[in-house]
Amino acid sequence: MSEIFVNMGEISSAKDHGILTTVGLGSCVGVTLYDDRAKVGVMGHIFLPRSRPNDQGAPPGKYADTGIPAMIAEAIRLGASKIRLQAKLAGGANLFPNLNMKSLSIGQQNVEAVKELLSKHGIPIVGQDVAGNHGRKMRFFVENGLVSVTAIGREPVEI
Amino acid sequence: MNEVRLDFLKELANIGTGHATTALSQMLGGRLFQLVVPDAQMLPFREAADYMGGLEHTVVGIFVVISGDVAGHMACVYPLNSAYALIRLLTGEETPEIDELGRSALQELGNIMVTSFLNALSKMTDLLLAPSVPGLAVDMAGAVWESILAGAEVAGEVTVIRTRFSAEGEAIEGHIIFLPNEEDFGKIARRCGLEGL
Amino acid sequence: MAKTVLITDDTAFMRMTLKNVIEKNGYKVVGEAADGEEAITLYRELKPDLVTMDITMPKMDGITAIKEIMKFDPTAKIIVCSAMGQKPMVIEALSAGAKDFLVKPFDAERVVESLRKIGS
Repeated sequence: MSEIFVNMGEISSAKDHGILTTVGLGSCVGVTLYDDRAKVGVMGHIFLPRSRPNDQGAPPGKYADTGIPAMIAEAIRLGASKIRLQAKLAGGANLFPNLNMKSLSIGQQNVEAVKELLSKHGIPIVGQDVAGNHGRKMRFFVENGLVSVTAIGREPVEI
Repeated sequence: MNEVRLDFLKELANIGTGHATTALSQMLGGRLFQLVVPDAQMLPFREAADYMGGLEHTVVGIFVVISGDVAGHMACVYPLNSAYALIRLLTGEETPEIDELGRSALQELGNIMVTSFLNALSKMTDLLLAPSVPGLAVDMAGAVWESILAGAEVAGEVTVIRTRFSAEGEAIEGHIIFLPNEEDFGKIARRCGLEGL
Repeated sequence: MAKTVLITDDTAFMRMTLKNVIEKNGYKVVGEAADGEEAITLYRELKPDLVTMDITMPKMDGITAIKEIMKFDPTAKIIVCSAMGQKPMVIEALSAGAKDFLVKPFDAERVVESLRKIGS
């Protein structure tokens, strides 16, 4: 079974089988899109909520506003149908809670941005493990759409 | 990223880490010995993670916000075994996991290292670089690293300084990341006589 | 009778370290504060002979706390113990009323020297 690692800012996809994995979700949000009939899975590792004008050459998956549309396009490219797509989220944590840097932490901003975009595209969120103060690892099994989330010192959680 | 800028950053890195190491050594009662000259690298943020040992192992991360005449952020990241070694050296305790006292010792250590680094730069530039109370996280390297980058809103490249020490036969490794805001980096450079950076 | 000291620092580890040094040298630590606000409260309550004060702390920083304490007790004997040793900060602390400024990490002798000098 091939396992593809999706690093910060990347988007990867698989059809029928394979595992899409992202390690070390801190304030980033790991997003999966799945069409269970076409067995098409796409995973993104979103870093910041909004794209920056001074970062033109950035991969689309780096920002929520460019990443979600890019993920949808990738899913369709592999044969998924947009209306069948379902999303799952993990991450968006605040690892340094005692630093009040902004009113809403980056992690929270990422989660909100992702949710807003998914809603805009009519994609339901069917599972999530977000917020808190710990890092997460997310594994997406494309064969059946199962997503497992692990954190240090915690039992794996299926979302 | 031009040569002059990189050289300047490396110079800052050397001076800053020199002071931080002295402070660390004092804190450990003179038992710390620096093995190698600090190595400063300017890397795209994704490569920086690999440079620091990958994404999955557990690390301790200290993160501060800088204010005063210069705004920005600074972080220290070190692997768990180095953290254990430091706790042992600081508290004399051997624990299977990092407890409250251990966390407190690491936080103070991070605080002193970061502040010493900034004190050195302050002396050089006559600018005020004041650190906030440090945030401490013990978690997967990938998660800590991206939280630092996102918190500092870094989009492109970062300067990572790797330092290796040995104390009482134990190898300790740490990475210091200095992230001044763009405009303020220029301020620092000008104070050091470098125009147009 | 031993002189009394109030220790202020946001890290438990540093409070412990200072307490050891201070008590080993004949002083009595009567209180520990973790931020500027707590320092003010404990100062009013305990009326210590001496105070050690960190600068960078949550809720209320050390400089603000020094100013507040000096307002209701201009004779307060406060020694700053901070990693933050930059000139403008030292000047600000001393202007606010601190009697000495020790930069961390400091050695035990330097702490005791300061306590003796300021305490007398």
